[in-house]
Amino acid sequence: MAISDDVFEGFSHYADDSVGLHVEHESNIFRLKVSGEWTIREVARLQREIDNILMPSTLFSNHIGEIEMGKLDRLDVAGAWLINSTRKKWTARGLQTRLTGAGNEHETLLGEVRRSDEAGQPQIRKESPFARTLNDALQGVGGLGRDTLMILGFLGTIAASFVHSVFNPSRFRWVAFVHQLEHVGFRAIGIVSLICFLIGAVILQQGIVQLRYYGAEPLSIHMLAVLTLREVGVLLTAIIVAGRSGSAFTAEIGSMKMREEIDAMRTIGLDPIEVLVLPRVLALMVAVPVLAFIGDLMCLLGGGMMASVYLGLDWSAFVENLHASVTMNHFLAGMIKTPFVALIIGIVGCMEGFKVEGSAESLGYHVTVSVVKAIFLVIIIDAVFAMFLAAIGF
Amino acid sequence: MSQQIETRQIETRQIETKSVGREAVISVRHLSKRFAQQIIFDDLSLDVYRGEVLGIVGGSGTGKSVLMRCITGLVPYGAGTIEIFGKDVQKLSERERIAMDTRLGVLFQDGALFGALTVLQNIQVPMREHLDMPKKMMDELALIKLKMVGLPANAAYKFPSELSGGMKKRAGLARALSLDPEILFLDEPTSGLDPIGAAAFDRLIRQLQSTLGITVYMVTHDLDSLFSICDRVAVLADWKIVRTGVPDELRKMPNHPWVERYFCGERAMSRSVS
Repeated sequence: MAISDDVFEGFSHYADDSVGLHVEHESNIFRLKVSGEWTIREVARLQREIDNILMPSTLFSNHIGEIEMGKLDRLDVAGAWLINSTRKKWTARGLQTRLTGAGNEHETLLGEVRRSDEAGQPQIRKESPFARTLNDALQGVGGLGRDTLMILGFLGTIAASFVHSVFNPSRFRWVAFVHQLEHVGFRAIGIVSLICFLIGAVILQQGIVQLRYYGAEPLSIHMLAVLTLREVGVLLTAIIVAGRSGSAFTAEIGSMKMREEIDAMRTIGLDPIEVLVLPRVLALMVAVPVLAFIGDLMCLLGGGMMASVYLGLDWSAFVENLHASVTMNHFLAGMIKTPFVALIIGIVGCMEGFKVEGSAESLGYHVTVSVVKAIFLVIIIDAVFAMFLAAIGF
Repeated sequence: MSQQIETRQIETRQIETKSVGREAVISVRHLSKRFAQQIIFDDLSLDVYRGEVLGIVGGSGTGKSVLMRCITGLVPYGAGTIEIFGKDVQKLSERERIAMDTRLGVLFQDGALFGALTVLQNIQVPMREHLDMPKKMMDELALIKLKMVGLPANAAYKFPSELSGGMKKRAGLARALSLDPEILFLDEPTSGLDPIGAAAFDRLIRQLQSTLGITVYMVTHDLDSLFSICDRVAVLADWKIVRTGVPDELRKMPNHPWVERYFCGERAMSRSVS
């Protein structure tokens, strides 16, 4: 928003019409007389007026330029810059220009501006969009490799710390572990249950609608049961936990990193992996299987509700149908994935936290990255397991 | 005690006579403020004259920063008046408030630069917001400001997180100077800088003040800054300004226990010996 002049009226000590310039031509001197208030509020207008001045031809005459400042009331850095840049511009066009009539304080200001102006220009990093895209892509690919190595390294550190704790159980942070268990496990039960219940209902309803063409509606219960136990229950739980707890890990550890608390820990002789990471990752590895189990049940419950609404099956018939379609293998194929999923969410969440640097933007960036990476890796793991289990015929 | 009060009165009278004919750009009268049960100011009065460098000193927690925030309008105050350029800062309309803000520049303790913008963009924020100016002109003006505060030209396209503490302060100063303000507020400008950096920053402030003719209101703890660049010092203690004067004057006649401890303590004395 630009402020119009009338706002400044109340504050200005000067009449507005005294601000300005006019041009004089005297024998071979081309003179610009500046007067009034040359300040930052006026420079844009003054610049336009100067640009409109018709310059004398320098081809056949030996004109000299002059900027006369005798009537200048007030000059600030912007005004001084304009006078200096006008002088430079005219001189560059072949009109040797000098400054005259400046008062003492204006002289100092002009000198200062000229000195700053000559102090060199910044090198602007100009990159073509193509080169930048290519560069980004290369960086991304390199980042993928680096991330894989880092995750492996982090996994190793956690494993070492875990083994150490097993042999020195007193060093393990039980309080932190229980605290984390409450936050990532107990407090997540509500949201996991709700979402799984709704998705279970939706899956069964869609199954009924699609299978109706073939008159195979009861098969939708089979589909729901297998899908839920093998994939959906675990995946939904993992995604909710990654969004809820993975991001919280990154934010907590990241803000500690920002405030140098992690460094403080190291100097005191505390191992941040042992104190911060191990309780979190272990709590997650305990909580996620339980949550996934609850999620499975809620999915089936939601499906059961839909079955009674759409198919008119009562609960005992629904449960009978379940018994007919589900084996222990389906359930185990889902549950076997949960600790791995928990591990990867925990590792990514904590690792991104450690990558946070000094600024708040960096924290926000890494929290986002943590969630995106965790969900991506969860799906990769899920796919790997699906292929592996199919290959061994489980 | 009564003698002390007497000398203080004489002292104030002297200052008042000295200040005749000088224009007070900021004048605080009978300011009182409290947070809940805690008194911050009680009947505080202070004048800042055009073109001077005024240092505000006081112990930790005496409200130096709060006073600066009251004057710049960031914090509302209770009783009393604060006038800048003869206008009561609490009675300004929204438009007058903005117009007033463009005539003040504030440097916060850690620079308070916007982290998402480059240094050059940071300096341009006030121009972009308040003036109608072509982009190229803003670039050039911001670059001049940048170099005037002694930053290398290459700092222009860096982000605040890539700068050192001293450079952040300089960049913050450049942003405060963006609209060529008439009054510059500095909140502990030399804190967190090494002595060499602090001395350089002092020189810079003095030099800018003399080139640009601005009035500087500086909250500080730094004795060196006080003695090297302040024209006048105001001491904040017991909820009011207890003493004002030239630094040397305060050292010779402290007239107040805190002022005495401050100006005649170990650090001040060792400084004057060297």
